[in-house]
Amino acid sequence: MASAPPDRIVRPVLAPGLTARRFRLSERSFASLLILPAFLVISLVVLFPLAYSLWMSFADVNLLRAAGPAVELFGVRIPLFRYVGLQNYLRLFADPNYWDSFWRTAYFVGAFVFETTVVGLGMALALQERFVGRPMMRSLLLIPWSLSRVVVGLLWIGILDVEFGALNGLLYKAGLIESYISFLKSGFSALNVLVSVYMWNQAPFATLLLLAGMQSIPVELYSAAEVDGAGYWQRFRHVTLPALRGMLFLILVVSTVNGFLMLDLIYVLTMGGPGNETTTLSWLGFQTAFQFFKFGPGTAILYTITVFCLILAVIYQKVVFRKLEAEQA
Amino acid sequence: MKPTTRRSFLQTTGLLGASAVLADGLLSEARADKPINLAGWVFKPDTVKDYVNVYNQKFGGQVKYEAIPWAQYHPSMETRAFGGDMFDVMYCAHNFRERWYENGLIRPLDDLPGIDELKKKMTPQNLESLKTKDGKLAGLPYFTSLFTLIYNEPMLQQAGIKAPAKSWDELVEHSLKLKKDKVSDHPFLPNWNNSPSGTMPQFMTDAFSEGANVFDAKNKVIVDQEPGVARAMERWQKVWKAELVNPEVLTKTSSTDTHRLFWTGRYAYHTNHSYYLKTIAGEPENSKLAPKKAKMTMYPGTGQTYMWTDSYTINAKTKNMDDAWKLTRYLGGNLAGDWYVQRQWCLISGLDNPYPEMYEHPEIIASYDRWVDLKLLRKQYEKGKVIAAYKEPWYSEYDVKAVPIVHNMIRGGTTVPQALKELVKLQKSLE
Repeated sequence: MASAPPDRIVRPVLAPGLTARRFRLSERSFASLLILPAFLVISLVVLFPLAYSLWMSFADVNLLRAAGPAVELFGVRIPLFRYVGLQNYLRLFADPNYWDSFWRTAYFVGAFVFETTVVGLGMALALQERFVGRPMMRSLLLIPWSLSRVVVGLLWIGILDVEFGALNGLLYKAGLIESYISFLKSGFSALNVLVSVYMWNQAPFATLLLLAGMQSIPVELYSAAEVDGAGYWQRFRHVTLPALRGMLFLILVVSTVNGFLMLDLIYVLTMGGPGNETTTLSWLGFQTAFQFFKFGPGTAILYTITVFCLILAVIYQKVVFRKLEAEQA
Repeated sequence: MKPTTRRSFLQTTGLLGASAVLADGLLSEARADKPINLAGWVFKPDTVKDYVNVYNQKFGGQVKYEAIPWAQYHPSMETRAFGGDMFDVMYCAHNFRERWYENGLIRPLDDLPGIDELKKKMTPQNLESLKTKDGKLAGLPYFTSLFTLIYNEPMLQQAGIKAPAKSWDELVEHSLKLKKDKVSDHPFLPNWNNSPSGTMPQFMTDAFSEGANVFDAKNKVIVDQEPGVARAMERWQKVWKAELVNPEVLTKTSSTDTHRLFWTGRYAYHTNHSYYLKTIAGEPENSKLAPKKAKMTMYPGTGQTYMWTDSYTINAKTKNMDDAWKLTRYLGGNLAGDWYVQRQWCLISGLDNPYPEMYEHPEIIASYDRWVDLKLLRKQYEKGKVIAAYKEPWYSEYDVKAVPIVHNMIRGGTTVPQALKELVKLQKSLE
């Protein structure tokens, strides 16, 4: 017979004269004690840098002039710099460059999330069907996702270049274009190139998640739907999509965060140009911090991205799970 | 035979060890007491390692070299200084020297032995550009470079053009003809890339070639008052509108990427940094225009082009000043009397230096002859023009934020007078 778990763990008496009662720890306290080392390590490598960078967004930071108040951490002096309140944020919100970059980022993230989700879903549906070579296709699918983004950027330069690009060569030889197209000539076109290239890189991950989700849907549901006379699209609409709600939420959140943070492809493909027409918030934050050495305003820009991501995650949760919650209620 | 005990084993090995240490000390040169840390951005790190090894062997140094990727070199050096890392000798790009000096990261070199002799050997413009705003010498030269005009001789010949353009009008005329005759889709390749080494240095160069100034004596942007700048920018708009320029040059991420386009042999004229002459005209394994199918010609107009000097600097907190200075003189001066490091850079990469006497060396003359007319290049250097505005704290931000204004103007988004006014306004807003 299984005994009920003890609600208290009794520690042994260590010295005469001390009662066992004094060393008795509740289960919760004992558990807390066990996770304390991990918590300390996480605090050191995650929470502290996070809090420190947040502080920097409210400070006037010059790394080369680190005199003034500081905190000591394991013998390392960490300067606090001069507190400037909301100044970094206020200047940011008054800067038209910031808002230009914001709207560009909004377009980039919206287009990227949409394309990644739709293409990922399409590929997952295709790979869910039985056909010859399906296992190999599933493996090949992961190649774009596993490539470093610098490599992805260089690869696509080779495909899209106005003079030696493979795509131009192909279209020209097929008689579809009269002269080579410059995909990076205008800012809007260059921004769409960035969206598509990043989607090419990231959609396989969405496919992988959706495939996993589809495989966990009981076959009986499809059989029952078929018996009820549901066609392919009805089965997709009423069985597959509702069952993938959790995965879709995950994909939306991950794609949104990735879209906001994307930097490396801009670095390789456009450097924010032509002009500043592919400058997104992450690129602006990087430039401000590492090219203008304004770490305070730079971190402020990057923290606004964090806020946008959090807001969107809440909205996604409301939208994706609203119907489910209504049904459960 | 007497068995080996633990005690006798330890005695024997101890004696052997001690004699090895003593022998090393007696036979080799005296070594520096403390190691010297050298940091540089990644450019031919194997070459750097080679001459660091030569230094360690020849001068008894203990130099530890670390190469840091170019794109993040200066931020990395600052964050590492912030974290307490100590590099005794550091590369420093021209536009960071003042910042490092004013914030106490590097020290002036004027009080160090032998510096006056080196100063005398340097060209006055380069010496001036190595100085801080308060007139102190902040570093010794790693290299100097300036903008040059390069042309594709076989392409001009194919089009029946007998000599390269001597004026801007002629260059535009040649480019229009080459385009019209379908010899080249985009005959002109200016360095309008989106990095700090691209559009704005090219902007200054073309302004100088029109006899105009970009900054006044107080380093204020005055481009809206200079007719020469307006002339240059109207020409930029004209060549863009006539589709004489590859439109994707605006999204090239570096001058290196831009000059590689010229390797293909599809362009007639290219303006870029002088050190690309070697890869374009001297490396057949890379460039279709090597050997010497691409040639340099004097820059049109006044012939003046933008010139700058990158440097080796010494950490203000170094605890090993003598050795740090010795290494710096080896790298950026003439420690052994043979200009060893400066010569290596000339021979291996065509990286020029500000010591004219170097160019009388037969080995240098023979080497340059493989890719460029050295006399012409030296003549171009006489026309090199330095600025002091990069010593201002706002310069880096201005340099980056000015690019979208200029790119917008090139593409006809704004008029030339509007764009020039915007540049002036931008600089004022950053002060």
